[in-house]
Amino acid sequence: MKQHPEVNEVQEFLEIASDFEDPLEIIRESLSNAYDAGATEVLITIRNTASGSDIIIEDDGHGMSRDDLKSFFDLGNSRKTDSIGHKGHGTKIFYKSDRIVVDTAHDGTNYHAVMDRPWEKLNNKTLPEYEVTEMETRPDNTGTRIQISGFRSGEGFDPASLTYDKVHHYLKWKTIAGSTAHYFDSDQREMDVVVDLDQEIDDSRDELATTNQLTFPSEQLEPDTGEFPATRMCKHYPPREIEFEHDSGTSTVEIVGMIGGKEARNELPTYGRHSVQFGVWLAKDHIKVEQVNEVLTHDNEFIHFFFIANCQDLELSANRGKVRNKASSLYKELKRELKHYMTKIAEDPWFKEDYLETRKRAQLRRRAQSQTTSLEDRLDAINPAEPFTPTNRTEVLLALERSNTHADTEITVEEYKADHEVPAILLEDGDPRTSHVYVELTTHFENDYPLGSADTILCWDYGDIDVLREYERHGYHGGDVEIDLQDDRIVYHHKDRHTVDIITVCDRIAAQEHQPLTSLD
Amino acid sequence: MPQFRQTDQTTFQVAATAGDARAGTLTINGQTLETPTFFPVLSFYGGGTKSSVFGGGVHRTIKEFMIGDDAIGGGTYEEYFRGTMTSVAALTDYGINRERFDDYTAERIKDREPFSEYSGLIFVDSGGYKFLHSDGLDGSDFEIEIDQREAFRIQNQLGGDIVVNLDRPITPNDTFEERQTKAERTAENAVEFARLTQDYPGARYLTVHGYNYSMLNRFFDTVQSQFGNIDISTLFDGIALGSLVPKKDNKEALITAVMDCVEIMEERGLEDLPLHILGIGSSSIPLLVAAGADTFDATTYILNAINEKYSVSLTDHIPLDEVDFSQCDCPVCSTPMLVDRMQGNAEYQKDILGPVAMHNLIIHKQEVQELRQRIKQHGTDPLINYLDETVGRRDPIRKQTHRVVNQSLGGYF
Repeated sequence: MKQHPEVNEVQEFLEIASDFEDPLEIIRESLSNAYDAGATEVLITIRNTASGSDIIIEDDGHGMSRDDLKSFFDLGNSRKTDSIGHKGHGTKIFYKSDRIVVDTAHDGTNYHAVMDRPWEKLNNKTLPEYEVTEMETRPDNTGTRIQISGFRSGEGFDPASLTYDKVHHYLKWKTIAGSTAHYFDSDQREMDVVVDLDQEIDDSRDELATTNQLTFPSEQLEPDTGEFPATRMCKHYPPREIEFEHDSGTSTVEIVGMIGGKEARNELPTYGRHSVQFGVWLAKDHIKVEQVNEVLTHDNEFIHFFFIANCQDLELSANRGKVRNKASSLYKELKRELKHYMTKIAEDPWFKEDYLETRKRAQLRRRAQSQTTSLEDRLDAINPAEPFTPTNRTEVLLALERSNTHADTEITVEEYKADHEVPAILLEDGDPRTSHVYVELTTHFENDYPLGSADTILCWDYGDIDVLREYERHGYHGGDVEIDLQDDRIVYHHKDRHTVDIITVCDRIAAQEHQPLTSLD
Repeated sequence: MPQFRQTDQTTFQVAATAGDARAGTLTINGQTLETPTFFPVLSFYGGGTKSSVFGGGVHRTIKEFMIGDDAIGGGTYEEYFRGTMTSVAALTDYGINRERFDDYTAERIKDREPFSEYSGLIFVDSGGYKFLHSDGLDGSDFEIEIDQREAFRIQNQLGGDIVVNLDRPITPNDTFEERQTKAERTAENAVEFARLTQDYPGARYLTVHGYNYSMLNRFFDTVQSQFGNIDISTLFDGIALGSLVPKKDNKEALITAVMDCVEIMEERGLEDLPLHILGIGSSSIPLLVAAGADTFDATTYILNAINEKYSVSLTDHIPLDEVDFSQCDCPVCSTPMLVDRMQGNAEYQKDILGPVAMHNLIIHKQEVQELRQRIKQHGTDPLINYLDETVGRRDPIRKQTHRVVNQSLGGYF
C-alpha cells in the first residue's frame, strides 16, 4: 500500500515563521504584496501601544479576492508565480503576533479577516484559525489594510529601536523600495511609500516618503577643485542585459551601477557599515541579496564600485538572505560573466585615468604639502648660531666627515649599512675599522650589543657617564669592562682581553674649533 | 649621399578602419593581398632535394599542401599561402653542404619546378636575429659571413617579393648603449640596403626595433640621421617591427610596442605604409590588429603541431589525441586520408603532424579573415564584440583586451 508522508502543520508554521527575525521583514513582504496588487501608494504606520506594538500597512491596490486571502493565510499556497512571495512563506511572519486583522476590498466586496493569538496558539501546538466577514462595498473602493498587533521578534519586538533612518536604509537596501527594475523596464510603475512612526519612537520628522526606485547619486565626471577633488566624482554605467549559457540553458543578468568617490557614495542610503556595503551585489526581483565582490579583480578596491546584478534564475533562501543555488553551473557562469563585465568597468579609462589618477595625484599633492610644512618647520629649527648636534646615526657620520678638516687623523666612512648590527666600515689613516655608530655611547650598552663585534664605537658623545660607570661596576655580559674615557677606549675582559676604541666626534670638532687658539702658541 | 630610387611598384590602400585597426590591400608587382593578413613562416629549403620538395620534415608536408602535391592527396590550398615568410637564415638550418647551398641559391624559388605553380608573395627576412649571434650562415662544411650586401644578394636570389634590411635586433636586457650601437648598425645597413635595392622589383621594408615610444623614436631618429634630409617614407614600402619575439608571451609589452610604433609612424608621415610585426602570431594577432598592425608572421602553427597541439581558435588548442575531427570542416579535417594520418596512422611524424600544422594554419587564416570582415563592417562594435568574445574571455589577456578596446577602439562606455 502506498502512503503519503505526513506533515505536522503546526510545526511547519512555527518553523517558517521562526526563520524571520527582523520585524522589518514584515515591511518588505507588505511592500511587495502592495506592488503586486497594483498599488501606487503604501502607508506603513508603526505605533507603540499599551498592549504592544501595532504595525499597519495600507495600500491602494486592487485588494485580495477570497482566494487571495486564503493564500495570504495558507502555507506554501501562493498564487504568485514569479515575484517575491511565490513560495507562500513571507506572510507567515505575521503569525509571530497577538492578532492579525486584514481588511481588503476587491471587486465590490470587502473582506474582513481576523486571526487571534496566532503565535500563542502555534506554541501551544494548535493551528490558529481566522474568521472572514464579507460585506458589499462600492466597486471602486479598493485597497488593503493589514494590522499586526503585538509582533514579537526573537528577543521581543522593540519598536523603539526603529528610527526613520534605519527604516529608510532598510527599505532602500532590502525591499522593493530599493529596486533597480526601473533601469530595465521603462514602464515600471512608480509606487510612493510613506512610513509613519509613532512620535514616541522617532519624533525627528513627521513621516518618511520615498518610492520603489533606487537611484544613484548624480553624475559628476569632472574633479572638484578642492583638496579632495575626486571625492564627489561619480559615473553611471548604463543598464546592460547580458545573456549567458549554463548547463540548464540560457539566463540573463541585468546589471546597472556606478563608480563614485566617498562623498558621492555618502549620498546613498546606508545599510550596515557604510564602508562594506559597496562592490557588486547579486539581486533577485531587482532587490539586493548578497555581495560577490570576488568578481572584481584583486587590484581593484571594491569600495569605489556599486553595481547591482539581477538574475531571476537565482534561487534564494526562505528569508531572502542568501542565494541558495550556489553549487549550480548557473551561479558559476553568472559569476564568470560578471567578472568579465566588471573587468571592462575597471578598465574604463574614466575610472583608471580620470578618477583614480585624480585621487592619486591629490593624495601625492597632500603628502608633498605636509612634507613642505615639515621641511619648513625643520628649516625654522635650524639656527646657525647654535652648535651642530646630531640627532641620528647618519648625522653622526656626516659630523665625522666634517671633523676631518683640521683633526689630527683623517677618518672617512667607506661603507654604511644601516640595518646591520655593525653598520660602518671606517678608514682611519688608511686602515679599515669596523664600527658601531651611535649618537651616544651609552646606547651600545643599553642595546645590549656585544663588545667584541667591532674595532671601534663611533659616537657623537658619551651620553650619561654615570650610566657607563654603572656598567663598569656591574660588569657586562659576564665579563669585566673598563671604560677609559681618558684614552678613549674600552677594555673588556671575559675569557680574553679585547679593546674597542671610542671615537667621539664631538671632541674632534671641539679640537678643530680650538685649533686657532693652539696655533697662537 | 647617393640618389635613391623612390618606391613605385608597391601600393597599400586602406579600405576601411575601425578605430586604429585597418583593413586594406597590399599590392606588390601586380599581386594583391588583403590585410590584415598572416604570413605563415616556412622553410622552402629543408636539407632535401627536388624530389622531396627540398625536404624539411613538417615544413616539407606544408610545402606539399602549398603546391597541392599528390603526397597529401592533392587539393587546393593556395589560398592559405598567398603570402609566406621565409628567412635567409633558414637556408642552413639543416646543416647542408656548400654544394647544396649553392644549388638552393642558384635560382629564384618561384623559378624552381616544384614551386612553379606557386604565385603567392614571399617575404624574405634578412635573418638578422640569427646573425646577431653568429654573424654568418653556418652549413655543415662552410660558413658565409653575412653583411648587408650578402644578405640582400641571397634575398634577391631567392626572389623575395618583400625584402628587409639586415637588422640588429635588440633584447630586453640590452643597455642603452648596446641598443644605440645596434640602432646605428641597423641604420647604416638601411642606407646600404636602400642603395642596393634601387632597381629591385619587390617591396622594401625597413626594420625598426624598440619596446616603447622612446626607444622607437630614438631608433627612427638614428635611421633618419643616416639618410640626412631624404624623406624615408619615399624609400620604403613598409615598416617591419622586430625584436618582439622575446616578449611574445607578454601581451602588454607587445601592445605597447605596436601602439607606440603606430603613433610614431603617424607623427613621421609614415602612416600610409603597412606595418608588419616580425615573429608574432596566434592570440596576439587580434589585439595587435586592433592596435593598428597590418601583417604578421610566425611559426606557431607548426610549433604547435610539433607539440601535438590542434588549434580550435587563435587562442585555444587541444591535445591531438583528444581531437574529434568531425567537429571541424576545414579541408584537412574533411579529408579522410589526412584525418587517418592525424590519428597516428603514418610511418613518419611529418605525415602525422604536417596535416595538423596545415589545419592550424587554416584556423589562423580564418580568424584573421574574420578580423578583416569585422573591420569592414560599420563602426567599431563588430571588432569590439569579436575581441570581447574571443581573447577577452581568457583571464590572462582580458585586461589587455580592454586596454586595446579603450585605447585603440574608443572604449566600451
